[in-house]
Amino acid sequence: MIEEDISKDDIINAYRNVILERTLDKKLLGINRQGFLPFYIPNMGHEALHAAIGMALRDIDFFYPYYRDLGSDIARVGLDFVLAQMFSTEKDNELGRDMPLHISNKAKNVGPVITTVGGHLMAATGVAYSHKYQKKPGIVVATFGDGATSTPDFHVAMNFSAVYSLPILFICENNQWAISYPVEDQTKVEISKKAEAYGFTGIKIDGNNFVEAYHAIKNAILNVEKGSMPILIDAVTYRMGPHTTADDPNKYRKTIINEGDPLDPLTIIENDIKRMKILNDEEISNIKNEINDTVSKEVERYEKMNKPGKETLFKNIYENDPWYITEERGEIQ
Amino acid sequence: MTEMNMVKALNNALDTMLDKDKSVILIGEDIAKDGGVFRVTDGLYAKYGDERVVSTPLSELGIVGMSIGMAMDGLRPIPEIQFLDFIYTAMDQIVSQMAKIRYRTNGDYILPMVLRTPYGGGVSGGPYHSQSSEAYFAHTAGLVVVTPSNPYDAKGLLISSIESNDPVMFLEPKRLYYSIKNDVPDNYYKVEIGKAKRILEGDDVTLITYGPMVPLVKSVVQKNNINADVIDLITLNPFDKDTVINSVKRTGRAVIVHEAPKMFGVGAEISATIAEKAIDYLQAPILRVTGMDIPVPFILEDYYVPNEKRIMNAINKVINY
Ligand SMILES: Cc1ncc(C[n+]2csc(CCOP(=O)(O)OP(=O)(O)O)c2C)c(N)n1
Ligand SMILES: [Mg+2]
Repeated sequence: MIEEDISKDDIINAYRNVILERTLDKKLLGINRQGFLPFYIPNMGHEALHAAIGMALRDIDFFYPYYRDLGSDIARVGLDFVLAQMFSTEKDNELGRDMPLHISNKAKNVGPVITTVGGHLMAATGVAYSHKYQKKPGIVVATFGDGATSTPDFHVAMNFSAVYSLPILFICENNQWAISYPVEDQTKVEISKKAEAYGFTGIKIDGNNFVEAYHAIKNAILNVEKGSMPILIDAVTYRMGPHTTADDPNKYRKTIINEGDPLDPLTIIENDIKRMKILNDEEISNIKNEINDTVSKEVERYEKMNKPGKETLFKNIYENDPWYITEERGEIQ
Repeated sequence: MTEMNMVKALNNALDTMLDKDKSVILIGEDIAKDGGVFRVTDGLYAKYGDERVVSTPLSELGIVGMSIGMAMDGLRPIPEIQFLDFIYTAMDQIVSQMAKIRYRTNGDYILPMVLRTPYGGGVSGGPYHSQSSEAYFAHTAGLVVVTPSNPYDAKGLLISSIESNDPVMFLEPKRLYYSIKNDVPDNYYKVEIGKAKRILEGDDVTLITYGPMVPLVKSVVQKNNINADVIDLITLNPFDKDTVINSVKRTGRAVIVHEAPKMFGVGAEISATIAEKAIDYLQAPILRVTGMDIPVPFILEDYYVPNEKRIMNAINKVINY
């Protein structure tokens, strides 16, 4: 179902993004098990959606991701930036101050990922207000999980953004689980329908199908811009792995999509590519090998990189250090 | 110079900064046409329009959260929380984002915003219009917490806060909104953040106070001819350690007066700092005169808030120790 305005190159690009995210994700999980990465948030299952988000957003759009956006982040700020943060290196923009995947990049219009579920949605709304007030081009795109739809922040953000007609696109990465809590218990109404209660459009899409997700997000961005009203997308996907490396999903569910299954988003896009004869088997395996090599090399490089030292501990708590910060700096042992 | 009460002085500061800087935006419940329930934003909507003086739906979380996003994107928002008592649904925004974004992003994003809110008693407001919960905010790294005690300081301190690149909690003692007037310059001026003022000078005892209790402490000291240093902290975090310590070293005695409850409050921090840095100079225990450790009562508020008798008891105790 490749539609006319998606070129072969776009599909190949998306496929590469999916492979990169999957390969890196598995690599990082492995490294965590070996004890070299203290914590990780698996992304398996979200790859097609992340590729769609990464490719649909324009540089002028402000991206406010959540913690499970590995592929969208890489598309936006690059592999180097993401790995520098992932391994809390001295090259990390944030000096290792937050957990893996909690990126922030003002220069690239990316808001700081916040652990508090839903906690960024009002800030995203504020960025949208500011964009409108300052007549900046582009819109704000905020992502979050299905669990976040129960937070007050989600509802207040939906309401405020509609009240002030703000240019913001809410994308719910509905992976059907909030740790152990299934989406059918999280809410008794389709997530996309919630938009209507606030006076704007909600759309439900198959987040595991790159082409559908890419079109929907691209169109939604244009429609938000044109209609100066928010839009909510419920992108249905599936968290194929554990919630985090501290989680054991066998305690609360039977995993229904496993790697390589027909519903695995990687399988879906790979089958499309083969069926449309965009790439042959050899080209596919070349891509996989090439990306595998890059991932191994880059991960090793960042894994070995120096970490910020204790002298950085007190930087940037305020613009100027209060007297007690100066005292406490002297107390570090 | 114009003689003004604190509400007028705050209004004047906001007007001054709205006029000076297009990035300043006011946001809060009923602040536009209505001018806010205490009238602090009166007339500003008519002058600057609904894009810059923004009335909001009824959500404190929304008001603070939206301001955080505005500040991240280069504006200088000034959210108003109608009463401090209603701030708690925004607590996560304040503690997890407003306070931490600069540190967490190592300064990639900064939040030049001023959260204004009336606090304390004096209006027979009962438990939900009278709270003094400054300690919650003063305890949170990343927030600056200030509170003026007169119209002159209110205007200059608000201008300093708006121009600060740190997020500021600007706590307005509502019992002083209309009760005192003084001469306020018509133009732009600043009162420095982090600097206390010695409003009376004396050698026998140091009284340390701030915000709503300043006029009371001052009048008690004057009326009873106490030879006291009276320090108005103005900034709670980071408080002016030097002014406090230098005074206590000279007088050897300290009494701290605040309207907020005693347990784990601002007075405890000041007291501990004095003990750490000047214990050899002390000639008496440090005493605190504070609000009681109960919710603010509706009809018996006068027994909750420090009064002349309680302040004099403490002063006499340390002087005669
Ligand atoms: C406000 C809040 N409560 C609880 C948590 C702990 N927690 C972290 S992630 C999570 C589940 C979130 O699920 P969802 O929003 O669906 O996103 P997903 O992790 O599935 O991508 C919980 C409960 C938190 N971070 N924030
Ligand atoms: Mg989920």
